[in-house]
Amino acid sequence: MQITQSQSGALQVATLDGRLDTATAATAEAALLGLLAPPGLVLDMTKVRYVSSAGLRTLLKLAKEAKTQGAAFSLVALQPAVREVFEISGFDKIIPSFASVAEATQA
Amino acid sequence: MTENSLHLRLPPETASVTTLLDALEAYTEARELPIKLASRLMLVADELTANVVMHSAGASFLQADVVHEGDLVRFILTDDGPEFDPLGRGVPNTNGGVEEREVGGLGMHFVERLAAQASYRREDDRNILTITLDARAD
Repeated sequence: MQITQSQSGALQVATLDGRLDTATAATAEAALLGLLAPPGLVLDMTKVRYVSSAGLRTLLKLAKEAKTQGAAFSLVALQPAVREVFEISGFDKIIPSFASVAEATQA
Repeated sequence: MTENSLHLRLPPETASVTTLLDALEAYTEARELPIKLASRLMLVADELTANVVMHSAGASFLQADVVHEGDLVRFILTDDGPEFDPLGRGVPNTNGGVEEREVGGLGMHFVERLAAQASYRREDDRNILTITLDARAD
């Protein structure tokens, strides 16, 4: 899992490339927690092929930590397999997602 | 012409999840599986293999067998750990806000929701889980 950083307005953007799975989730979590700070972090998920429950654990941790810090946290461009898992798990109700970084920045 | 099946025997450790998922990515591309089916297969493999790695104290190996025939893909996971059937253990609560949510139980929930068929049997001191995925499923 590769993570590339950039900025969009005041928000940090982390672009993920690869699988968010059992083996990669812990490392990704540590890296992403390091990037999370007010006003907020956006994860660009365009190149994330799929997310397992280990990956969801990471995203949930980020969402909880964001809430504690008063930072925004959202996802962008969920691929169909990822969206499916979000819907089954109910995570679509608790982590906001948008079609693009621009939309996430304006939200 | 690629083989329609994949067989991997691996030690029960986290690195094996990576080995298996890498092999499955290559396999799904070679077999030209539709993206949705390929992604579901990856998810099932990850969840079930991670379960064995994390919970099967005393397992000395796990074996993954994957067969693709037409619209169906069958994923069979065998391990020699203590008897354990991960199926039918109930549905986790998928409501609740950020503070209340936990992830436990979700992995098997995904597997059972996405599989066309899921079954467990114990044979010759082995746990054998068979999951069938159907390309035609919603």
